[in-house]
Parts: sequence; C-alpha cells; structure tokens
Amino acid sequence: MTTMPSSILEVESLSVRFGALVAVDDVSFVAERGHITSVIGPNGAGKSTLFNLISGAIKPSAGRVTFNDEDVTATSPHRLARCGLARSFQITNLFAELSVYENLRLAAQVLEDRSRLPLPVGRSGEALRRVDELIAQFSLDANVHERAGELSHGQQRRLEIAVALACRPKMLLLDEPTQGMSHADTEEIGALIKGLAGELSILLVEHDVDLVMSLSDHVVVLNQGAKISEGTPLQVRADPAVQAAYFGSGSVGSEASHARA
Amino acid sequence: MAEHDRRPLARGSDAARDAASIASAPSSVRGAVDHRERASRRASHWLALFFIALALVFAVFAWATGDTFFFRLATESLIFGGFAMSVDLLLGFTGLLSLGQALFFGLGAYGSALVLKEITPSFWLAIGVTLAAATLVGAIAGFIAIRARGVYFALITFGLAEVVSKIVFNTRELGGSDGIIGIPVVAANFGVFSVDAANAPAFFLLMLVVIMAIYFSLAYLLSTPFGRLMDAVRVNESRVSFLGFDPRTIKWISFVLAADVAALSGAFYPMLRGFVSPELMYFTASGNAVITVIVGGVGTLIGPLYGSVILFGLKSVIGTFTEHHLIVIGLLFMASVIFLPKGLVGALHPRLAAWAVRRARPRK
Repeated sequence: MTTMPSSILEVESLSVRFGALVAVDDVSFVAERGHITSVIGPNGAGKSTLFNLISGAIKPSAGRVTFNDEDVTATSPHRLARCGLARSFQITNLFAELSVYENLRLAAQVLEDRSRLPLPVGRSGEALRRVDELIAQFSLDANVHERAGELSHGQQRRLEIAVALACRPKMLLLDEPTQGMSHADTEEIGALIKGLAGELSILLVEHDVDLVMSLSDHVVVLNQGAKISEGTPLQVRADPAVQAAYFGSGSVGSEASHARA
Repeated sequence: MAEHDRRPLARGSDAARDAASIASAPSSVRGAVDHRERASRRASHWLALFFIALALVFAVFAWATGDTFFFRLATESLIFGGFAMSVDLLLGFTGLLSLGQALFFGLGAYGSALVLKEITPSFWLAIGVTLAAATLVGAIAGFIAIRARGVYFALITFGLAEVVSKIVFNTRELGGSDGIIGIPVVAANFGVFSVDAANAPAFFLLMLVVIMAIYFSLAYLLSTPFGRLMDAVRVNESRVSFLGFDPRTIKWISFVLAADVAALSGAFYPMLRGFVSPELMYFTASGNAVITVIVGGVGTLIGPLYGSVILFGLKSVIGTFTEHHLIVIGLLFMASVIFLPKGLVGALHPRLAAWAVRRARPRK
C-alpha cells in the first residue's frame, strides 16, 4: 500500500442499513489523488448505494468519509459540490427541458462568485469560459440549442459527464458512465475518462468489467454490501474470492470469462 | 498541492491565457446562444409594451367617455394581475403550485387598510409596512411550506391560508366577517406630483406604472443566474444540489419574493375600493389567481396580466347579460385549457421569439 498523504478520498467503515437490510457493510478504501479508483461487483452488491453515501445523497448509519483532508460524512450534496466533489448519475439526470448550453451554464455557475447571482448573466465570466471549454472538449457545438432531453442516449451520457465536470471538481464520481452505450461509444468514453485522470481524481462505478480493468489504477470489489477484495486490476482478477462472487451470483460477465481463460 | 498546479484547467496563468484567447476570438456558440436569448427577451418585451399600449388606448377612450366605472374595473384587474404574477413566479419558474397565495394578497390588503385607517393615511407607510409584514410572514410560511414537495406543498399553502383567513374572520378587531370599511382616500405623494386615489384615471395610471415596474423587475431577475437557478429547480430540483446550490434556499427566496409581490398588489386594493373583507384571503381568491395564470400562460410573467384583464373583461361583459356568468367563465376556462394549454401568451411567445430571431439575423 502507498502512503497516506497522496490520498484524496478516504472511506472508513462505512455502513448503511435500510431496515433489516445492510446495503453497505463496513466498507473501507482509499482513493489516491489523480488516480482512477473503481468499484465493481455483481448486481445488488451495493455499488450505487456506496456512491450515494459518498456523494451525500443518502446518510450513512455508521462510518466516516474524508475528502481532501476534511470530514465530509453526511454532508449535503451542495456543500460537497462546493468542496470539489462532483458526481454523474447512472440514470441520466439532466435538465431535460433546458438547452444543452443552459445545462452547462447552470453547472458552471458555481465557479462565479455568489454575489454575482442577482447580476445579469452577461457575455463573459468564469462560468461562460468554462462552458466554452466543455463544448469544445465534448464536441457539443452542433447541439447547444437542443433540449438535453432530445439528445441521443450517447450524447446525453456525454453531457452528463460534462455537467459533472463543469464546476472544475477535484474529484469526479462517475456512476456507470457507459450505461446503455454502444461498444464504440463505450471506448470513446473510456478514452475520455483516461484523459481526465491525473488532472482529476476519479471514482468509477462501472458494470463493464473490461473497461474497469483497462482504466483503473485501483479496484475495489463489493459483494452483498461488503468489500471482498481490492488491489490493482491484475491482483483483483486473480483473487479467488472475486471469481467466486462473480460465478456465484450468476451474472457471469466478461470478468468471469477472463478468469476462466 | 504541486499536483494541483499542474491541472491545465486550473485558475492562474492558464486561465488567463484562455481568457485572452477567448476575448480575442469570441466563441461563436456563445454569440448564437446570446442571440437567441435576446430574441426571446425581446419577444417578452414586445408583449409587455403591447400591454402598456392597450392600457393607454383604453385610458384615452375611457377618459373621453368621462366614466370612472371602467377605470376602476381596469385598475382592479391590474391589482389582481399583480397578484397572479406572484403565483406565476412560483408556479412558472420555481415550479411551486401555491393554492394559498391569497394569504399574502389579503395580508397586503389588510395591512394597508389598517395603516391607512388606524395610523395615518400615508401611501408610503402603507406600502412599507405591507412589504415588511409580507417579508416576515413569507419567510415563516415559506420555511414551513418548502419542506414539502409537489401536491403536499400545494396543500400546506392551502392550509396556511385557510387558517389565517379563519383567524381574520373571527377577529373582531379586524372587522370579522364584515372586514374593514371606511378606509380614507389616500394620496400617493411623489414629491413633484401626487396621485389621488379618488381620481380614477390618475390612480389607474399609477397602478399601471406599479404593475409594469414589478413586471420588469421580475423579468430582470429571471434573466440573472439566480433566475436561471429557479428554472433549474423547477426542471430537476434534486440535480441542482449536486451543482453546488441548495434548492431549498432558492425555493425559500422565491417564496418570499412572491409573497412580497402579492402583498404589494394587495396593498392597493383598499386604496381603490375603500374596504377589505376576509374573502380576499379565501381559497376562491387563490384559485382565481391560479386560473388567471393558466389562461394567460404559465411561466410567461406577462401572461397573468393579460389573463387578469381577459377574466375581468369577461366577468363584467357576461355579467351584464346573466347572473350565472361563472358558468360561462368555467366553460371558457375549460376550452382554453384544451385548445390553448400553454395559455394565451404561452402560445404567442415562441412564435414572436422565432420571428425576432429571423428578423435580427440578416443584420448581423
């Protein structure tokens, strides 16, 4: 294990109970600054719940989350966003009725000083500069006037990431960014995520195990709410506990076929 | 920290270089977006200017006939138009359906009536006290109401207004079921000139100025980043919090603003009519304001003013033929919802905006 000072996110003994169900059970891991850390696991392993706990969407029953040396356990999402922790959503969560440009501008608004909120939007400023960058980076020029809800699925997934990136976060939580995407689109998003790392720390929850293995610096494997393994992609791939979990759950993905080969 | 400074997107020298490059070559995307937004705003302003023109044409005709009845009716329709605008601010922008907005309209009317009758017949004191009271009550009521969402928010606002109206109804000091009558005629003093509420044409023009000032202030607010966040809350409230803004604060501020607009409109009611009654706070009043907004166009701001004039016009025209004018208005309301679901202005505005975009293009 590497030394602590380079970590950006520390999750310690995080648990959440919904009635009798322990959805996340005593999970601990550390995400390094500038790295891609991924969380994988069979369906229902608690990946998305863990994500919601870290991003403030739901409150944990026990445990601690430290982001950038600050205790952010059970901090509300808008405070976390201001601290530099942004997230995307598994189910596209955009302002569907508003234009692509408006989506990005709203998302970048936090870069402006709060005292400017009641002043005219104007034609310049940090937020608009950021919107220009994102439009170029995500090749959205042709779609700026379109409503977000009218974009193709692949473009909506791209915009979802762009919106999360707009506030220039220190860390980005990506919840299944390639959900429902074609193979070509998945590769493109993979390359994009890879390009973002370094500038940015990334925590990735992903179904596509191949993608995770090719992108990640560090992989955390969950099963039934608990961490069963972690390490580099190679270490995790070789871990018998991981193979058992994937075989046992019946959701034999490419991970399992790799393990067999 | 060193890692941090390597980020190419970080503020500092890189950002300054970006700024310079963008300033020298303005983004065409930004220009196109700006172009469209200005066209949309221009379309709204045309509708507002047309409304003012209509009001002035009406004033000339009404003045020529020397009749004060139509002036007073038109002034009342402006007052209720302001009330409806406050409902639209919540419903059309932040996405909150208030079924108890009459609480604030009535608060304004009673506050103004009490100041004028019990303290001193001062126009400015009545307005000042009303706004202060509405801000305070709006902050408290809003704090309670925004905890709930959707239909529950509507029910809480409804409940709050019912409670307050029943209290007013049963308070002898506030005139109980009779309300407050015999409110003295007030003069609004503007230094160089003064407008007497008894002078129907002058008071109508004052009301037109006040209502349009409210309209243009709100239209301005909605074009600011704060206004856009209100829009964002309506479209997808939960996502707003992940952008770094607390949607509850945005809802709270817009609730207080709407309370102020409703109360300010209400403050003019006793000046015009010389009395207030608990009916002003009843659900009928809140419901009428919602209907006015829907007929005029939800989320258009100028629509509620058109809606108010249309409904007042219909009520008085149909009312001269039949006592059952509400049946006719009810049917018209249903027809308007079916054939013009976005309301009058909601149907007109996109066409005007598209025309404004086309019109401005060749000159670019």
